Amino acid sequence: MSSASIEKGIRMIREQIDAPIASFFSSCVHCGMCADACHFYVQTGDPRYTPINKVEPMRRIWEQEYTLWGRIKATLGLSRKVNAQDFEAWEELVYDGCSLCGRCSLVCPVGNDISDMIRKIREGFAVAGHAPEGLVGATRRAVEIGSPMGVRLSALEAQIRHLKHDTGLDAPLDQAGADYLVLLSSMEIMNFPEYLEAIARIMQQAGKTWTISSRAFEATNSGVQIGVSDIAAELVQRVVDAAEELGVKTVISPECGHAYTAIRFEGPNLIGRPYNFRVQHILEVLEEFRQQGLLKTKGKETDRMTFHDPCQLVRKGGVIEAPRNLLGMVTDSFVEMRDHAEMNWCCGGGGGVSANERADELKSKAFNQKKSQLDELGVDTLVTACANCRITLEEGLERNDMDIPVIGLTEMLADHLVEEPGKGGET
Amino acid sequence: MKDDQTLGERLRESGISRRGFLKFCATTASMMALPPSMVPAIAAALETARRPSVIWLSFQECTGCTESLTRSHAPTVEGLIFDHISLDYHHTLQAASGEAAEEARRIAMEENHGNYLLIVDGSIPQKDGGVYSTIAGITNLAMLEEVAEGAAAIVAIGTCAAYGGLPHANPNPTGAASVSDIISGKPILNVSGCPPIPTVITGVLAHYLTFGTLPELDHLGRPKAFFGNSIHDRCYRRPFYERGQFAETFDDEGARKGWCLFKLGCKGPTTYNACATEKWNQHTSFPIQAGHGCIGCSEPDFWDRGGFYDALSVPTDDAGNILLGAAVAGAAAGAAVGLMNRKKQNTDTRAHEKVTVDDLNGD
Repeated sequence: MSSASIEKGIRMIREQIDAPIASFFSSCVHCGMCADACHFYVQTGDPRYTPINKVEPMRRIWEQEYTLWGRIKATLGLSRKVNAQDFEAWEELVYDGCSLCGRCSLVCPVGNDISDMIRKIREGFAVAGHAPEGLVGATRRAVEIGSPMGVRLSALEAQIRHLKHDTGLDAPLDQAGADYLVLLSSMEIMNFPEYLEAIARIMQQAGKTWTISSRAFEATNSGVQIGVSDIAAELVQRVVDAAEELGVKTVISPECGHAYTAIRFEGPNLIGRPYNFRVQHILEVLEEFRQQGLLKTKGKETDRMTFHDPCQLVRKGGVIEAPRNLLGMVTDSFVEMRDHAEMNWCCGGGGGVSANERADELKSKAFNQKKSQLDELGVDTLVTACANCRITLEEGLERNDMDIPVIGLTEMLADHLVEEPGKGGET
Repeated sequence: MKDDQTLGERLRESGISRRGFLKFCATTASMMALPPSMVPAIAAALETARRPSVIWLSFQECTGCTESLTRSHAPTVEGLIFDHISLDYHHTLQAASGEAAEEARRIAMEENHGNYLLIVDGSIPQKDGGVYSTIAGITNLAMLEEVAEGAAAIVAIGTCAAYGGLPHANPNPTGAASVSDIISGKPILNVSGCPPIPTVITGVLAHYLTFGTLPELDHLGRPKAFFGNSIHDRCYRRPFYERGQFAETFDDEGARKGWCLFKLGCKGPTTYNACATEKWNQHTSFPIQAGHGCIGCSEPDFWDRGGFYDALSVPTDDAGNILLGAAVAGAAAGAAVGLMNRKKQNTDTRAHEKVTVDDLNGD
């Protein structure tokens, strides 16, 4: 197959228009509620960022190709076919101006899943050669190296050696028959290795066996972000193959948002069959441990803290109670943000925006939404459960001279574990 | 309750913020397909509106309509709007009884002659002089004629008042009739449904308080804003219909997967109402979402249209049922267009070549 072209893009968009998409377009009542739900619109005030407008080229293709009135209009020359200029003009809206956070889908009064529509229009933009360079690069590295950040197995092995040296704990590679297969995001391997240590300590206390696959340790899925289902399916397949070969019962998606929806919800659809293992987000696993009494903690944090809900986790996965229950174990000074849980505002860096350097300025504008939420609360510490949110939040706070440390929930919980003597973890 | 308070004052007193109130106004404008520029007009009119007199007559009915309209679990703006009308007479809700109740009705009629809103639920028996239902010794027929005379407008709540409903079902032993069968020369609005959706009645009341008129009606006298679309058009299970995925029984795989209930007798395609968008019990769910087909309760003669579990494609009614026929033909035409579109889409899907990383860079 040759390189990208506009014709391919249009054909791909047509392929994406299924019955739900058609009914979404015919249901839209132009109420504009999605605009007020979008941090990109709210912070820029630019009506082009109205979520449903971001899929306007797709709407025109739907109207002209699949509706009687649209065909008549097109025949009479009353509507213009989608062309190269449209792809040019919409590329920024489709990629830079949407973090696929799904807040618009949630408020839509007629139930249109606008964020899924944007996920689908990206399929067309990607094969039309209109995906941002940063994302194309990340996708290439994910396919060729196995990680969007270019992290190789040797880097992970180095981190495991550090872990052994510092704590005496092991992160077993390729151990068949383990209870859990742990996936990691590149961000965690490179920037937040504390996560790996936390997992090792928690699993030890819970008495569970776990492993990491040397063939598929990466959890993130650039295919989902850039909008190429074929690539997304290939990346999911790697994890599925590894999990089935090792015969694990459960695969744990790490502290990452889109990685969770990719493997948990899109995955079986992408590969066309159900899995024979379970997929859980790490917070769901920890909540299960908590309920079974497998987590023992001591001491409480004294800082006033709040929790940033990762969009994919709360809006797509409904994981709302788990982080709050877990936080309850280690702090009494927890406060909720305005618009928390399923109505939480995105950090601004999801859906591939953080891998797209071009979108930096827009991203930091969108962050002001988060900033205003935090300004109201005046907290000392911000807890979250997504490495991508974490890095975006850290950047945003830094830029705004706000001195609020950002911590991963898993890591904070591990800090409070009651270590039992004789079971490793001696320091 | 101070009678001279405006709605704005009353809402504030009840702890409803201005923001909450404006949200209600915007939702009402949006539901009734009014332009956004009308939101401030609605807000201004409702804020300053004084309580209009409303007389509510319940005839041959089951009180389900009143139950539906008063069943809000928490104080809502809708509920307070409802409180805001001066409900001068309502058998079920008023404290007075007997002679005192009838006296209240007469006073309200005299003091507000030509200006009060008359709300009716229940059908009116006409056979044998209307003896089958009387209140205070007065037949429903006589009471309706008496009260309608001085009303500014009449709202028929529920399918019984609007089209005769259950009492009108074959063989109709009491000669039950709808309000519009009996009264002419007055604006009559039908809010059908068995029972109707609470938001629809508050929407109509908000419209009346704002504009002093009734909203635009369809050919069956229902407000177009709420009855403009069929349940089928707005149903979240519609995609399954388009794909031809139907539940065949109530406990098969299709039923468990939430497929379309058309074959189990769902009357969604021929029923016009707002259930699929407004939903019930504070926007929680509606019958189809609970796994049962629509029985078409907002349509005239829904009891006599064959079994609730007979699929629409099997004609059950007399041959003259144009609406049903048209809907079935429409559904067939829609299915044909759907097939054509699907074919087109399938062609693209078949032509799909696997996308690799090398395909992502432009020429």
